[in-house]
Amino acid sequence: MTTTTIDPPAAAAARRGLSDRGWYWLFVAPALIAMVVFYIWPLVQIFGISFTEPEFGLGNYAALVESRPIQTSLVITFRVAAVTTLLCLVLGYMVSYAIYNAQHRMVGVMLALVLLPFWISVLIRSFAWIVLLGRSGVVNDSLIALGLIEKPIAMMHNEFGVVLAMVHVMLPFAVLPMMANMKGINRAYVDAARGLGASEFGAFWHVYLPQTKPGILSAALLVFVLSLGFYITPALLGGGRVLMISEYITYQIQELLRWGVGSMLSVTLLVMTAVVILAAARFVNLRKALLERG
Amino acid sequence: MTDRSRFTGPMPATDDDEFRRDLGEIALEKFRSGRIDRRGFLTALAAIGVAPALGNKAFAAASEIIVCNWGGAAIDAVMAAWGTAFEAESGIPVVVDGSGPSAGKIRAQVEAGAVVWDVCDSGAGSSLILRDQGVTQEIDYSIVDKSKVLEGFAFSHGVTNYYYSYVMAWNPMLTGGKAPADWAEFFDTEKFPGKRTFRKSVRGMLEPAAMAMGIAPEEVYAFLGTEEGLAAAIEKFRSIRDHVIVWSSGSASQQLFLQEEVSMGCIWNTRGQLLLNEMPAGSFDMKFNATLAPGVWVVPKNNPAGSEAAMKFIRFSQEPAGQVVLLEMMGNGPANPEASSAVPEGLRPYNPSSPENRATQITYSWDWYGANQIRAEELYVDALIN
Repeated sequence: MTTTTIDPPAAAAARRGLSDRGWYWLFVAPALIAMVVFYIWPLVQIFGISFTEPEFGLGNYAALVESRPIQTSLVITFRVAAVTTLLCLVLGYMVSYAIYNAQHRMVGVMLALVLLPFWISVLIRSFAWIVLLGRSGVVNDSLIALGLIEKPIAMMHNEFGVVLAMVHVMLPFAVLPMMANMKGINRAYVDAARGLGASEFGAFWHVYLPQTKPGILSAALLVFVLSLGFYITPALLGGGRVLMISEYITYQIQELLRWGVGSMLSVTLLVMTAVVILAAARFVNLRKALLERG
Repeated sequence: MTDRSRFTGPMPATDDDEFRRDLGEIALEKFRSGRIDRRGFLTALAAIGVAPALGNKAFAAASEIIVCNWGGAAIDAVMAAWGTAFEAESGIPVVVDGSGPSAGKIRAQVEAGAVVWDVCDSGAGSSLILRDQGVTQEIDYSIVDKSKVLEGFAFSHGVTNYYYSYVMAWNPMLTGGKAPADWAEFFDTEKFPGKRTFRKSVRGMLEPAAMAMGIAPEEVYAFLGTEEGLAAAIEKFRSIRDHVIVWSSGSASQQLFLQEEVSMGCIWNTRGQLLLNEMPAGSFDMKFNATLAPGVWVVPKNNPAGSEAAMKFIRFSQEPAGQVVLLEMMGNGPANPEASSAVPEGLRPYNPSSPENRATQITYSWDWYGANQIRAEELYVDALIN
């Protein structure tokens, strides 16, 4: 007990009932409780299982060093996520740039086209790729009919198919932050650069592009982090050979009932994702990039 | 936490509940192709999970037998094969609950003192584990007829109820009309170009790899039991991994053939049976030259209908007529050797447990998988991705 006196305004508030701060907590409470009960607590349990099952200790984590398939799976995961991110950035930047430099009448339509895939489940979109990319799928059949190829090309059950479908799924996540960022850029700077004699490309490269850097970084972060934990598309289009870490976790738990190893991999994925975000935080103001876009 | 703890322990690795679960999925296809009606389909769906209403003690009065299997078409099949006839003979109605009697669930019911099921469709590996855990009853062989099961398939706490196989399957249209003569040719990508599909899990896959190296069928498990043998079998997969697509569910294996993604594969005979019916004539065939595995009836301790009624039902299910119905509906081979002669001519080549097919298969070793599966899985995944 260190306080014996209460400053008058707070005391008055306390007499009225809850303080302002109390009210805020009350508003936040339902969401907070739900988060703790249904998210934080299970996560803590996962963390616990990774250290306690089948026995107490770091046994599960030793697999990170000892198990070659786990290492390869992690490499595949990061490689697929990186390639997906890179392609999404290039394509997404082009789309965003086109939308914000298009005629105003078209903006709504273009935006709708970007958002449209969100309305269709990832599962359906992945199945659609199976129909398209299969050995006797639409693409192969068309190419053969046109006489461009003689034998079907292997376009799925490999990394190519997985990356293609993942870029498709992730593209809106790249476009939206970049678009929000571009919306806030004043065209006057580019015009001024042009007026001062810069070439079209020079004005873009030296004046416009640097201004879109926050958008690019937040798009990259978003796509990369989402790709790391991606499950459905690689599972359906990878044919078992493109074993990303979330599929490996499922495999450990469903096939082998090795909860310890599965949990360890989940924790590892979580930690790695956190590291990526923390590393990104050194280069980009996360609060600004993710919360205050536009 | 409580839910998870049911699945821990030594229970899982040896057995293949996944196969039985897959029988349930076959329901959907039967529905689509009009072989069961809408009501039947909805019943099946309800039994798979939406309505665990059957898991209610009041429902399981002693005046009926609750058979628990893995849902789907298997519900109708059990009713058609045995349920209706058993009621007619004994006066005891049979109810099929398709919610999946995994070893964990059986144990949980017995330990909680709330047993709902009388007879459960389990596997050989599970039945041994359940016996060791003391949650199943000894089979009363004064009622159940040991002579109606093949030697070695009547266990102290479980008795074989049907068979299924891992088969060599191929699409002659994609192999230039040729059939792979043996597993060595199956693994020969020069002679037989095109993709092969193997199971995502190592179960049932190592035996063909060993045979492909010229190991005699009866020596396969001894060979796989040695460090070098297992490594060599795994290398077999590594050597053709660019030609491999894995199937993670029975329906996936079927899709891969339907879409002509693969020219060959090692799949379950039940799925092969569906492909035989679905694919154009001459574009699918299969051969029983790998592994045969049993489905096993077990009776939980303190089952509601009492021990005698459960044993009588099992005895009844040993009659050939019902077992042939099961083969016709599901592709499951009869457990009773006498049933083979009752199988219609056209179906005989595809009966996993016919004397001819048995002669060319080895029996799935739950002992081997119990001891080695986890290690083998790790090596198998490594071979496919590294």
